[in-house]
Amino acid sequence: MRVWLPLCGVLAAVALVASVLSFGLGRDPTAIRSPLVGRAAPDFALRTLDGRRTLRLADLRGQVVIVNFWASWCTACRVEHPALAAAWQRFRDAGVVLVGIDFQDTRADALAYLAGSGTTWPAVEDPGSRTALAYGVYGIPETFFIGPDGRVAAKHTGPVSYDQIVAEVGRLLPRAAG
Amino acid sequence: MRRPGIWLGLALLAAAGTLGAVALRGPAPARTPADQVHAIAAGLRCPVCNDLSVADSPAPLAAQMRETIARDLRAGKRPDQIRAEFVAAYGESILLAPPGRGVGLVAWLAPALLLAAGLVVALTAVRRWRAHPAAADPTPSTPSPAGDGGAPSTRSPAGDGGARAGPSAAGAGRVSAANRRLLERALERLDEEERS
Repeated sequence: MRVWLPLCGVLAAVALVASVLSFGLGRDPTAIRSPLVGRAAPDFALRTLDGRRTLRLADLRGQVVIVNFWASWCTACRVEHPALAAAWQRFRDAGVVLVGIDFQDTRADALAYLAGSGTTWPAVEDPGSRTALAYGVYGIPETFFIGPDGRVAAKHTGPVSYDQIVAEVGRLLPRAAG
Repeated sequence: MRRPGIWLGLALLAAAGTLGAVALRGPAPARTPADQVHAIAAGLRCPVCNDLSVADSPAPLAAQMRETIARDLRAGKRPDQIRAEFVAAYGESILLAPPGRGVGLVAWLAPALLLAAGLVVALTAVRRWRAHPAAADPTPSTPSPAGDGGAPSTRSPAGDGGARAGPSAAGAGRVSAANRRLLERALERLDEEERS
């Protein structure tokens, strides 16, 4: 008894620590779960960077909306730009809207980037990062997929690939990706 | 002053009571709007920093969070509403202190439970030691000679009835008493030899 009791205690403690470590080490440290997934996407009404119009999320109800947070100074955003451009070309007439929200940037730098990269999807500015804060943005690029029902279906942190966009759009709008 | 245990217990109770009262009272209430913003920001984790509060972080996003808090306070929102909005966007990891419910409750209760468990273990050990002080005697026991009336030791040779002392502290105490008697006899013999 005298030996077994502490031994069992030590073994239980080791098993507990090992299980916690195996659970923690088995997870992807870059994957940040968003509490917004499954909930109504925070609404926004933001001016396009060219100042021509205001884009309201509420007006896009019924379509799949891909909200991409980016900036001209963001290297990873340049990496994912071709994927976004290809997806935009494929889905722009299929009930999918891509919105780029400029994050902590200057308007001049952002406009120069848009012109240089040939971006044709709507890009808006986010004064005071109010929309970024409402979406719980940690670091860009971050991409949110919003379903036709206005709920956030998925969040992607880091550069998103073309295949990932197609897969998410396919889940939300099967006829568009078919 | 003959019972240091009582005084120690009273001192521990007084310390625990003081700490509890301070914890329940919490920090002084914020008076100015800037104080209110700081109080809320100090409880939020800067999302783009390593272990810095929104109040302490120089990051632009933290500054924008402070502006958001100030604007929301001016709009008449309560501090818990403002915190809830950040939690809705970022999850509970945005809070520097875990919530007092769900899994977060473990972080609040674990120190108190561990302290209580430690006290129970310490008190049990002290009580056991006081009841049988020889249990802590590191002197190895020696074989008990047959017929000395002493209890069999853990090293009793075969033939003493086959009984072996149990591993209890009481058993260890009896062995030591037998040793003490042996030692006293040996000392008496030495004295007799010296006299003779």
